[in-house]
Amino acid sequence: MTYKPNDPEPLTGQQPLEQEVARLLVEVLQLDVDAESIVPEEPLFNKGLGLDSIDALELALAISRSYGFELKSDDERNGQIFASLRSLARHIEIHRTR
Amino acid sequence: MTLPQAALVPLVARAPADVVFRAPGRIFTAADLLSEAHRLAQTLPDASHVVNLCHDRWRFTTVLAATALRGQTCLLTSDVSPEQLRALADRFGSICSVADDPAVASPLRHLHLDLAAPGGRPGAEPNPELPTDRLVAIVFTSGSTGEPVGSRKTWGELAARSAAAASRFGLLPGAPASIVGTVPPRHMYGFETTILLPLHAPACSWCGPSFYPSDIRAALASVPAPRVLVTTPLQLRALLRADIHLPPLAQIISATAPLDAATALAAERRWETQVWEIFGATELGSIASRRTATDADWITYDGVRMAPGDAGGAVVTAPLAEPGALSDVVEVLDPARFRLVGRADDVVKLGGRRASLSGLNRILTGIAGVADGVFLAPEDLDERPTARLQAFVVAPERSAEEILADLRGRIDAVFLPRRVVRIDALPRNEIGKLPRQALRAMLAPDADET
Repeated sequence: MTYKPNDPEPLTGQQPLEQEVARLLVEVLQLDVDAESIVPEEPLFNKGLGLDSIDALELALAISRSYGFELKSDDERNGQIFASLRSLARHIEIHRTR
Repeated sequence: MTLPQAALVPLVARAPADVVFRAPGRIFTAADLLSEAHRLAQTLPDASHVVNLCHDRWRFTTVLAATALRGQTCLLTSDVSPEQLRALADRFGSICSVADDPAVASPLRHLHLDLAAPGGRPGAEPNPELPTDRLVAIVFTSGSTGEPVGSRKTWGELAARSAAAASRFGLLPGAPASIVGTVPPRHMYGFETTILLPLHAPACSWCGPSFYPSDIRAALASVPAPRVLVTTPLQLRALLRADIHLPPLAQIISATAPLDAATALAAERRWETQVWEIFGATELGSIASRRTATDADWITYDGVRMAPGDAGGAVVTAPLAEPGALSDVVEVLDPARFRLVGRADDVVKLGGRRASLSGLNRILTGIAGVADGVFLAPEDLDERPTARLQAFVVAPERSAEEILADLRGRIDAVFLPRRVVRIDALPRNEIGKLPRQALRAMLAPDADET
C-alpha cells in the first residue's frame, strides 16, 4: 500500500466508517469483543475474528438493511470484500445507497 | 415409481438432449455430460479413490461420472483440511484429489480442472449401464468419537433413492424441474438433490452462485418453471428476512436442521408455494419427508421401511441398500410413518455440518496444557444464526487465544468455539460425568451479558 506524501500517517486506527461497521459486526454477530478492538487490517474470517459462512449470510442481511445494497457471490471475489474490516468498509463506501 | 431389482442401471438415465445442468449463460445436456465424463475418465490419475473437491456442480458431476466409468470411488468430505485428506490417504492408500478451484491446497496427488470445459462431440459416447453394486461414493461425516466415518454408496442404492425422491416430489417427465440448490454437492443432502436427481429424474440443476438471497433470486429468475429451491432452514430464514420478491416457486425443500412450522408457513404464504422437509442422515441418505407447515409425521419414501430399533432409534431398510440404524430417537407409527422424538444428544449441526461433541471434547482435552475441557452448544443452536459452540477449559498455563489457535485446523471452522472460557474446574459429579443441569448452568450467565 502506498500513501501520498502529504498523508500524515498510514491508516492504522479505525476510520469513521470502519468504526460504524465494527459496531455493526459486533452487534449483528453478537461477538464477544469490543468494536474498538477490531484491528482494521486483520482478517475477519478463519483467523482474526474467526467468522464463518453463516456469519457472512447474517452480515449480508445487516449490510443490506443499513446501507441499502445487496451482496452477491459474483461481486469481485467475496474473499476480498470480507478480507478485513478495512476492505469491507471500503466495499460499503463504494456501493452504499444510504 | 420403484426401480426394478435390475443388476444394471445406466450412468445417465436421461435422453441425450435433456438439459441436466444450467450455469449462467450456459446449458449442459445429458450428451454433454457423457462426452465430458468419457474424456475426463482418460485423464484422471490412476488411483482407486478420488477425493472430489469440486465446488461447481457441473464439474463435480463430471468427476463423479468419470470415476464411476473407470470403476473408481469418489470420496466426499466436508472437512477438506490437509489433516483430513492425509487421514483418508492413510486409510485408502491409492488415492488422488480433484478440484476446480486453484486455491485448493491438497497434500495428495492432485488434478486441477479448469471450469471451461473443452467442447467435445456430444452424443458420440456410449451411456454404459453400471452394476447396481458398484461402489461409486463414500461420504464422510464425524462419527460418535469424532473420527471420520465413511458411508458407502452403491450406484443402485443412489439410483433407487433418486427415483423415490422424484416420485415423492412429483418431478414429471413432461415438465422437468429446475432445481436451485444452496447446499454443497459433497454434503449428502446436496449430493442427492443437486447432483444425482438430474442424472436419474426429470430435473435440471443450477450451477451458478446461490449463497446470498440476491444470488438465489437471480438464479431462480434465470431458470424455467417449475422451480424448486433446495435449501436449509438457515438460508430460508435469511430469505424471509431479506424480504425480496422471488419468481414463482413450485416448492421449497429444506433439510440439514429441523425447520420450525412457523417459518415453513411464513415461506408458504410469502411465495405461494409448498415447503417440504426431507429427513435423512449421511449414513442412510434421504429417507422421508413431510410438509412442515401442516404435518407432524414423517412419511418414508417409496420402498423405505422402518422398524423400532435400539435405544429409541430405528432400523431402516431400503431398496438396494444395506439396512441401517437411525440414531435419532423416533416413534415408529407404522413401517412408513414415524415421528421424531429427539435428536441424538451428542451430535451438533452447524451450517449443514455435523460434529460429535464427545469427539470435539477429545480434541480439546488433547491440546497441550488443557487439563480438562468441554464444548457446549446453546439450546437455540438450530434457530439463532449467530449461535455457536462455546468451550470451557481448565488450562492454568494457557490463554484462551492460544487454545483457540491450537483448535484451528484440527476442527471444522464452524465448530470453533466463539468463546473459550477458562475456569478453575468443571462441575464433574462423583463418577466424573458432567450433569446436564450443571452444564446448562455454565451457559446461563451468558444470557445476562448480551
